[in-house]
Amino acid sequence: MPRPQITSHRQESPVPHDHPMSNPARLVTMNNAYDDLLRRTLSSIQSDLARLIYLASTRDYNSGVYHHEGLSARYGPESTRVALRAAHKDIFYKLIGLSLEELVNELEIYVRISREAPTGFIHTWQELEPYRVAVPMEVDSTMVQLFLSNIRLALEVLRFRQEHRQADPSASSLQPLLGR
Amino acid sequence: MMSTAIFVAVAIFLVLFLLLIMRHEEVDEQESVQADASTRHECRDALQHQELVFRIFSREDREFILLMRSPRLQRIYQEERRKVALHWVRRTSREVSRIMRTHRLIARQSRNLDAGAEARLFFQYLQLRFICGLLVLLSKTFGPHALPDLASYAGELSQLIGRAVPDAAAANHVASSGIPGTP
Repeated sequence: MPRPQITSHRQESPVPHDHPMSNPARLVTMNNAYDDLLRRTLSSIQSDLARLIYLASTRDYNSGVYHHEGLSARYGPESTRVALRAAHKDIFYKLIGLSLEELVNELEIYVRISREAPTGFIHTWQELEPYRVAVPMEVDSTMVQLFLSNIRLALEVLRFRQEHRQADPSASSLQPLLGR
Repeated sequence: MMSTAIFVAVAIFLVLFLLLIMRHEEVDEQESVQADASTRHECRDALQHQELVFRIFSREDREFILLMRSPRLQRIYQEERRKVALHWVRRTSREVSRIMRTHRLIARQSRNLDAGAEARLFFQYLQLRFICGLLVLLSKTFGPHALPDLASYAGELSQLIGRAVPDAAAANHVASSGIPGTP
């Protein structure tokens, strides 16, 4: 079966037609804010999973509104919100399109850059499921189910590898596989 | 003569059995339908994502898990994927049913109905419902990894119905207020 691609939110429709940002001048500002966000902020983050979590962290837990001081100062709060929301959805769609193996690698990189002990990290993520808050709003519920399910599976794979490594230190040959 | 009668009886039984499964699945899902009402506006987007079908019913992911040689991981993988696959099948079936229901309401008021097109649409709808029933049954029995082509076909069929009923998107919004549990 040929592998189709999930359409990028931005390519598909950056802004709904009835949205206040559908004004052409505002749309240009929003696109500039989006490009700025990609170029200056997101490009310095090592993995897509880390980018997703960063973008989710710019969203207020109670109101669901995105905030970014630097971008707001340059492009205004409304353009910034739309750009952050679009980038958040784009990264989410990208992660949904990854195979399980690729997602495990993403998670492995995220564990590494978090500088937490892998065992503690895996335990905490399995207990608290903090990745649930990384899901953008207004995305298809099957995609959300798949994302959450894949993260749970990726955590199980990492846990299995971790236990395997602890039980058999000579199995450190598994290590290169993690970053493949 | 006797064998033909048996064959027809078995076919009818199978169709009824699968429709019964889907009916049962829908009853089970009543609560989630209500919870899902908020995301109705993006249901049609869901039908467009063939990549999503590819990922859910992926053999590649299963092969990756098999390489670990861990029965526990394999069991967890089967459970997780089955849950997501059943969610997709139920949503596809539910969404197409909603489109058809809305289309029926509109068709009743239409004066220039194309009987041939209507019959074709109804046949596609029945076919999709049958395949959805089959997908539920086979996903529970063998797992989603065994069904990528059937799921892909169901996805294409749902898109075909969605395209054949262009007025459903607008009417869907109107009809959604008539669904029990929807404000």
